[in-house]
Amino acid sequence: MKQLHCAVIVLIIISLCSGCALFGKNKEFQPFDVSALNNIASGKSTATDITALFGAPTEVVKMSNGNAYIYKRSISKGTGIWLVLISFGNFERQHDQIVFFFNDRDILTHYGKSLNAEKASYGFPF
Amino acid sequence: MPRKHHMDFRFKIIRILISLLISGIFISGCISFEMVKRIEGSPVTPPGDTIQVGKTTLETALLLLGAPDQLAEMEGKDLLIYEQALYRDNRISVGIPLGDITGPNIDLSAYGTLVRYNTLALFFSPDGILRDIVFENGSDHPYLKTLFPEEDKK
Repeated sequence: MKQLHCAVIVLIIISLCSGCALFGKNKEFQPFDVSALNNIASGKSTATDITALFGAPTEVVKMSNGNAYIYKRSISKGTGIWLVLISFGNFERQHDQIVFFFNDRDILTHYGKSLNAEKASYGFPF
Repeated sequence: MPRKHHMDFRFKIIRILISLLISGIFISGCISFEMVKRIEGSPVTPPGDTIQVGKTTLETALLLLGAPDQLAEMEGKDLLIYEQALYRDNRISVGIPLGDITGPNIDLSAYGTLVRYNTLALFFSPDGILRDIVFENGSDHPYLKTLFPEEDKK
């Protein structure tokens, strides 16, 4: 009797978990070294200096009195569980981003950084 | 006598569990419920008193808020957008493939997909002074009430 009980429980667990579980990680990687920010100075560094340090920008945007170079990399993490009748999915994408603003003479005027890519996490949708 | 009742009860439970199990296996392809959540970007908070129109500079905004998610030039002003997108998708479907036996298939499905945005837009004049702020907290809108607003029920 006890064996039958155990067998039924095991069978239920196996069939409930007969779907699948997924853990995925994706990197959209534009490599840049954040420590290189120590080598730049607003009002002095030029667009050429920035590209020498950080490589080609992900995007260039025309601004009112110059240009902005955007460097971006992102990390996505996904969790999925498929049970017999129910499936859950959770996906999160976070970015590391540095934006450099240049005036019309290509001199760096400002920059801003957001480093959140590592904050992407696995989880459930509730 | 109580022992017999106890055994009967246990057998009944096992029978129910086995029936559920078998039914689950048979209908697993016919009924499904799916719940998906997707987040892109970091939380966007209301600007508060630290950012003020006519006073805050582009440099201060970048220092406080970091790099914007989107940039654009609009009518001589520089637009910086900070945005978090929250996507939710719930769907249920019931389908019984009877096409080969009776004719039409039974197929019912319902789904609700909603993307909400928390957005902060800052407009700067060419001299780098903040001229306008727009903040929208899309995640304040509840999932079901947003999908099925009261007007739809009338």
